[in-house]
Amino acid sequence: MISRRELERYQRQILLFLEEGQERLKQSEIFIAGAGGLGCPVAIYLAVAGIGKITIVDRDIVEQSNLNRQILHYDRDIGREKSSSIAEKLTEINPDTEVNAITAAIGEKNVSKLVGNADGIVDALDNFPARYILNRAALEKKIPLFHGAIQGFFGQATTIIPDKTPCLACIFPKAPPEEVSPVVGTTPGVIGAIQATEVIKYLVKDGDLLANRLFIWDGKASRAEEMAVERNPACPVCSTSKNTTMHKRVR
Amino acid sequence: MTVRIRFFARFRELLGAESMAGFKDGTNIADLVRSVTEKNREGYNAIFDESGNFREFVILMQNGKRVDVSDAGRTGISDGDEIAVFPPVAGG
Repeated sequence: MISRRELERYQRQILLFLEEGQERLKQSEIFIAGAGGLGCPVAIYLAVAGIGKITIVDRDIVEQSNLNRQILHYDRDIGREKSSSIAEKLTEINPDTEVNAITAAIGEKNVSKLVGNADGIVDALDNFPARYILNRAALEKKIPLFHGAIQGFFGQATTIIPDKTPCLACIFPKAPPEEVSPVVGTTPGVIGAIQATEVIKYLVKDGDLLANRLFIWDGKASRAEEMAVERNPACPVCSTSKNTTMHKRVR
Repeated sequence: MTVRIRFFARFRELLGAESMAGFKDGTNIADLVRSVTEKNREGYNAIFDESGNFREFVILMQNGKRVDVSDAGRTGISDGDEIAVFPPVAGG
């Protein structure tokens, strides 16, 4: 139940999606993979929106060079675990949101347990090998995956609904090269805000998701564009088992 | 016959947002992108590897439909087509 205090706190968004929507946010758990450039704005906007529980995982400690973009880590946090730093700030931002912050590297062995029974998974990672692991976990558990990635002034986002939209490997079959990429803090701000918007719309069942669409942000030209994306019938990640089964049946 | 080629993100920085290109019958997407980029060494190298093949992470679209980079050498183009060349980004 939404309390009188919560009705006031979330008044301006309850105008948009009613108490029923707010109750959905309150009952939801979102898993955020990464407490860096994307993870910070995603976590802020989900916490202020009143998401019931946020689980956030990061393996790193806060470094001086993170501070131009990772806006929940402060100067005083240098040397501290990012998970601990982010948990403290999120609890201050909204004490109603339960924060479960974990220091771990996401890998094949721990991903299922880390994700648990979350209602949505936010990809706020900084490399594709870990993203592919998260993608497989999302498909197996049939949990939506909200993808975002950035470099410099450029960013991309899409929403992956298992069995309905292309998976991450359909859209990006080969990982772009890893490099120490330049980035200005506003780029993950833009893309993180879009990811959080997608999560909120998904949970309150409102609007059109970035499903089957890749959103592309060019901050240098101040242009947003999109590309239609399709499932790859031969995708080794989301299609193989089905095709094999069908093939056998036809025979 | 002409097509419009659109570059995105970092490719746009190197090669400009878009260009119109004339082509002859029988030209495929790989030939087309090569011919448009070959005068810009940095732009060309961002898209193609040392053997002149598309770098494997490059995303190609023909009129909004995905073309696998390994098929680009045998995918023909038609007058008025729009070809998009996009580099995904990986940072977070």
